[in-house]
Amino acid sequence: DGHLFNSISLGGRGGSNPGQLKVHSGGIVWKKQGGGKAVEVDKSTFLELTWMKVPRSNQLGVRTKDGLNYKFTGFRDQDVASLTTFFQSSLGTTPQEKQLSVSGKNWGEVDLNENTLTFLVGAKQAFEISLTDVAQTQLQGKNDVLLEFHVDDTTGANEKDSLMEISFHIPNSNTQFVGDESNP
Amino acid sequence: GDGRAAAKTANDLVSYKSVNELPPPRGMTIQIDQKHDAILVPVYGIMVPFHVATVKTVTSQQETNRNCCIRIVFNVPGTPFTPHDANSLKNQSAIYLKEVSFRSKDSRHISEVVGLIKTLRRNVMARESERAERAT
Repeated sequence: DGHLFNSISLGGRGGSNPGQLKVHSGGIVWKKQGGGKAVEVDKSTFLELTWMKVPRSNQLGVRTKDGLNYKFTGFRDQDVASLTTFFQSSLGTTPQEKQLSVSGKNWGEVDLNENTLTFLVGAKQAFEISLTDVAQTQLQGKNDVLLEFHVDDTTGANEKDSLMEISFHIPNSNTQFVGDESNP
Repeated sequence: GDGRAAAKTANDLVSYKSVNELPPPRGMTIQIDQKHDAILVPVYGIMVPFHVATVKTVTSQQETNRNCCIRIVFNVPGTPFTPHDANSLKNQSAIYLKEVSFRSKDSRHISEVVGLIKTLRRNVMARESERAERAT
């Protein structure tokens, strides 16, 4: 029962870790290569599953009712087809398809959903960040919001470049964010 | 449609038309794709491309013996001489990514990235202003 994939990485703020992913009728289990971190998501906590085509691979997004959002990368196109069938028949859920923005633009929309901040360019996702990793938010001037990430040297130890800070400019003409809604 | 049908001006630069055009990820490190005028930065396991024309400045800073920091600042409306004024008028409700900073354990890689971005940016700006001149 289920499907096993041997080179699936879990993406996070500090980079991504290679590991093994098992999808079974009860949910999803991912184990870090060489032991250590493991992630178990029971199907009863699924809020939303998504597929997104990323460079040379496909990414499975698993959003849970607890507000967590896991990103597993390393699926081939044929894995997407077989897993989608399995999700539908054995787990009773259909993954939604998302598209990645590759235009290279730095302006778009910000969508806040539970603990996930999504930057969208032309209705496509440019990137997502998990607000649970944000250590501090700062308002800079009247229009800029800076998010600082937790410094954690244990995650993504094999990564060379890891995200530390990100800031957004919200022009006065924008009416989406008033007050401190962007400071969760 | 994200302006693909519109006339191509310096404000309508597009790095990639599809995901398949992106270079293969080389680990999760910052990459420069000179062929597509793009900078790719790793954000939560995905390489996110930005057109070099959206970049205002790039700087690096040595933090400790092991770590160094790279800061990429993007053009946003309201700053002097921003080349995006036409866009900021078009996209009044848009939110802009203003800045990203990354910590790296490889200072040689970071100084190489800073140099490549600066050169690419200069070349693209020169090419686009030449194009604009020819068009008038």
